[in-house]
Amino acid sequence: MPELENPFQETLLSRHRAAPCSVVIFGATGDLTHRKLIPAIYNIAAAGDLPPQFKVIGFARRDKTDEGFRAELEEGNRKNSRQGHNDELWESFSQCIHYHRSEFEDLEGYKALGRLLDQFDAERGTPANRLFYLAAAPEAFKPILEMIRAAGLNVGTQGKWARVVCEKPFGKDLATAQGLNAVVAATFAEKDTYRIDHYLGKETAQNIMVLRFANSIFEPNWNSRYIDHVQITCAENLGMEGGRGGYYDTAGALRDMVQNHLLQLVSLVAMEPPTDLSADSVRDEKVKVIRALRPLVGAEVVGKNVIRAQYTAGSVDGVPRVGYRQEDRVNPESNTEPYVALRLMIDTWRWQGVPFYIRVGKQLPKKATEISVHFKKPPQVPFATSAMLNNSENTLVIRIQPDEGIALRILCKQPGQAMSIQQVKMDFRYSSSFGKASPEAYERLLLDAMAGDATLFARRDEVENAWKFIDEIEKAWHKSDTPPTMHEYPAGSWGPKEADDLLRADGREWRLL
Amino acid sequence: MPPAPLNDSDLDRLGLETPIGRIDRALKELWEGDEAKTRASLINLAIYTEDSCQLMADNELLDHVAAQHACRALLILALPEAEQLRARAWIQALCRPYQGKQIVCSEQISFVLEGGNAAQVQNIVFAHLDSDLPLVVWWQADLSKNFEERLYSRIDTLVIDSSRWADPVRQFDALLVAMNAETGGFDVRDLAWTRSHFMRTALATCFQDATACHNLAKLKNIRITHLKGQRTTALLLAVWINQRLKAELSVELIEKETGPALQGLVLEGDGVRGEVRRECDSCFVKVSSTCGENTREDLLPADVDSDAELVTELLSRFHGSTLYSSLLPFVHSMLK
Repeated sequence: MPELENPFQETLLSRHRAAPCSVVIFGATGDLTHRKLIPAIYNIAAAGDLPPQFKVIGFARRDKTDEGFRAELEEGNRKNSRQGHNDELWESFSQCIHYHRSEFEDLEGYKALGRLLDQFDAERGTPANRLFYLAAAPEAFKPILEMIRAAGLNVGTQGKWARVVCEKPFGKDLATAQGLNAVVAATFAEKDTYRIDHYLGKETAQNIMVLRFANSIFEPNWNSRYIDHVQITCAENLGMEGGRGGYYDTAGALRDMVQNHLLQLVSLVAMEPPTDLSADSVRDEKVKVIRALRPLVGAEVVGKNVIRAQYTAGSVDGVPRVGYRQEDRVNPESNTEPYVALRLMIDTWRWQGVPFYIRVGKQLPKKATEISVHFKKPPQVPFATSAMLNNSENTLVIRIQPDEGIALRILCKQPGQAMSIQQVKMDFRYSSSFGKASPEAYERLLLDAMAGDATLFARRDEVENAWKFIDEIEKAWHKSDTPPTMHEYPAGSWGPKEADDLLRADGREWRLL
Repeated sequence: MPPAPLNDSDLDRLGLETPIGRIDRALKELWEGDEAKTRASLINLAIYTEDSCQLMADNELLDHVAAQHACRALLILALPEAEQLRARAWIQALCRPYQGKQIVCSEQISFVLEGGNAAQVQNIVFAHLDSDLPLVVWWQADLSKNFEERLYSRIDTLVIDSSRWADPVRQFDALLVAMNAETGGFDVRDLAWTRSHFMRTALATCFQDATACHNLAKLKNIRITHLKGQRTTALLLAVWINQRLKAELSVELIEKETGPALQGLVLEGDGVRGEVRRECDSCFVKVSSTCGENTREDLLPADVDSDAELVTELLSRFHGSTLYSSLLPFVHSMLK
């Protein structure tokens, strides 16, 4: 039977609508499923965007019934749903949730999953698409993918698709990422592989392209002729609460944040305009930026451009905090960095000589992720005597979280007889201007994966090129005879003095958030 | 008929009465001295009515809409039949808390224009817009008299509710004339059309799967149950269905005295049936589709019917659509 377009559909939406599908979540009893995935799917349902005859199948090792699984998820949804919890909707929605118990390495479990999916197809009266979501621990990815393939679930039937969504971390270095990519590629085509980076699902991250390419006042100035430097800050005011020290101490800020989220933001800020908005056009331009990052090779170069640090005991918001090495589940002799600051250069025509300064850290004074674009100073001839011009560049700030918005710092004449100049800020806040709350990143990304739009997902070459860049720094830190120093900063401060020196050496300073 | 008298205690709810020539200054004073307030504005939203009984309802509506869509709100009550020529204005801030403490506010300017003409309305509207922002006008009166070319040529989006029109044929005629005028480049948003959005979405869900899609050609009739006074809403929906199917299914409209504006939609044919049903007061609709032996059911969200919710919803989907315009000639001919 040939596929027909639904004539009632085409006029209603300005985006692709997801086709009927079943989503299988591996690691379904984990925190991510309860806190993020199910509330995201529930909110998609509340907005009426879920495809009809939708199914979610939780796949995990523990024994559970469908009812027991639904009851656990209901509790999580009450706590975490963005739009609250409606009993009537949950009653209807939860009927699409099922549980399937199996070991990740047990082929029979996957064959049984296949029979369950076939049974749902039979109930629908038509085969459905299948989305496999890997929310399990990273070491389980390989056996899960191999078993999916062995059970023949990786191929859609009767023209339907089968896709996989991989949660981060996608590898822990280039070699493991390539190994994982090889396993994924042996199971799913690249076009059916969705590597999730929830930063890309945030409204302000998506707005970077609109801001740059839809506003004629910015794009002509978006280059080394007018931009002095760019800063990206990702500050957390928490440490290793909730037992996350165990994982974090094996990763560190560079691998956990810079390799994925922050390099994705760098690529959005620095990319050339794509020829169209298709997933590959956008990702082609983003990967060019990652490839053009000037490699930081050798301990000396890394030492000059990258500052790593651990926090010592201090206080955040007046609350005492222990040092990193005293945190729960952290090795007391740990050599892992909860803070890193980098100076990156992008060797392209557009960005020649423009440094990108990145910093990310735990136990900083506040939680904030921001990009600030610092424009060059004007010639200043008419105002040469004004003291205010010492720190006078125009700055465009893109706040990713919280309080999403855009601010532009400009200079104005202060009222009065004298020519005094004052910095003022024009501030746009999403929540003030658009009363409607933005969807959670996972809502957008899940819906995109179901609808086949991979624009906001990382492609294989993006991931591998990012690891290639990061690996050189890790090598200098951990395999060199003269590794750069691990610096320290008191919890609750804005990082180590050496990170300030990194910018001071260039005649600049970190923006005060 | 003389206009209903205006009640002073009602007028007090419009805010601070201000001489029209002093509005800008009064607004400035409104913002001075309170650092905690943030003024926000994305659009100019004007409501024009000639019904004094509607004034307080519109005032409340703007408060609701501004909570979702920061705007410069203009509420205009024109009473052209009034004997005495008089113009009064009030200003107020429509505020909502943000992050627990800071207050985000829109501005509202309300006018009562007695005995004025089209030129007076235009002057008032154009003199009090927030510059560089789009102008959205909800025209609640008849599209005649004051609705003239020099006004609509400046409107970006015209909001109407065709279900309220006492003489829809004449009003659609006037609308088509304005839309086809050389300067009539505005978008039209009809609340009667927005009101059916949830039904259209639900209907799309009915026929989402391939089996149901293949049976669309077997459909023969449309049955729509609607509230009394919502006939145009139901007709717009019926015309849209026939247009999407490229068919001429027979249309049956059933009118009810109470309940939501649109209460039920059934599409039927040989061995195929799609139904969308909304229970009174429910924020969901039940959707069922039957093809042969198979029946499938879903629960989907339904929009709230109130004018405030509809306008809020309409402003959320702020993009041009030629679809509504393409329906007008057909609806017009069915109304005759």
